[in-house]
Amino acid sequence: MRIDGGGPSGLQSEINVTPLVDVVLVLLIIFMVIAPLTLRGYDVNIPGQAAGAPPDEQAAEQIVLAIDLAGCPVVDAPDSAGLPAGCRVRLNDEQLPVADLARRTTDVFAARAPSDRVLFLAAHDRLNYEAVMRIVDAARSGTRDLRIGLVTEAR
Amino acid sequence: MRPARPANFQSAINVTPLVDVVLVLLIIFMVIAPQLHSGPAVELPTTDRPPQKPDDGRQILVAIERGGTLWVGSDRVAADAFFDRIREAAHGRSDWQVVIKGDHRLSFGEVRRAMLAVEAAGFKDVGLIAERPDEPAQGG
Repeated sequence: MRIDGGGPSGLQSEINVTPLVDVVLVLLIIFMVIAPLTLRGYDVNIPGQAAGAPPDEQAAEQIVLAIDLAGCPVVDAPDSAGLPAGCRVRLNDEQLPVADLARRTTDVFAARAPSDRVLFLAAHDRLNYEAVMRIVDAARSGTRDLRIGLVTEAR
Repeated sequence: MRPARPANFQSAINVTPLVDVVLVLLIIFMVIAPQLHSGPAVELPTTDRPPQKPDDGRQILVAIERGGTLWVGSDRVAADAFFDRIREAAHGRSDWQVVIKGDHRLSFGEVRRAMLAVEAAGFKDVGLIAERPDEPAQGG
């Protein structure tokens, strides 16, 4: 490069943003590609059979969401989004339509410490998997960190 | 006066942009590779608010197809060999998590039996994979 005695002919006073834009665009593309690939799903605890029956005082506090075939006869996959229509579930001893479940579980679990927020799921074997998942999704929608437990006893 | 010479003439190809692009591609594939799950394409159940499950590389993937065919990772497993296969996979990995990708047309009982087998093999909890309604179906 030749330095001539005159003024600085190529001096730029602006910051060169091109590399910055390059990097940002590449990051954008990376995250766009990854976003749909992340798995989504629900953790389900399965109480070990070796652990035996829970103590009585704990049993009194358990909240069991029961979905049976008589109240919720959904055996085929729902063909539209949303909760299965005309479906009734039981929350402990209380019968309620599935549309009211989210509000009810929110109330029930709001009074509990986060470590006690466990919803036990007892669904009939013949029910459709997707319908059960949607009901679980509704039940946990209003409660942060609600854990799902699977009822393992024979029904 | 000497003959004019192009002062900045380079005879070598400028490889810097090429290296840039190749490195970026390398990074993209490094990030994506663990996310590409093997196994069959399963039509997952759709729910409104499935929480994200971050992939820490400690997941054992179980897929259940519509007819009840079981897959562990990328291997198809017969129903009576499923428990042994899971118990084998559990060896030394008790802090891993089994994630179940079940077809949305299955009955709950089919998924529940798989969950019980997973529990009997020594895992404390499983993940049931779902997707949001607006997402494209992610296959294998």
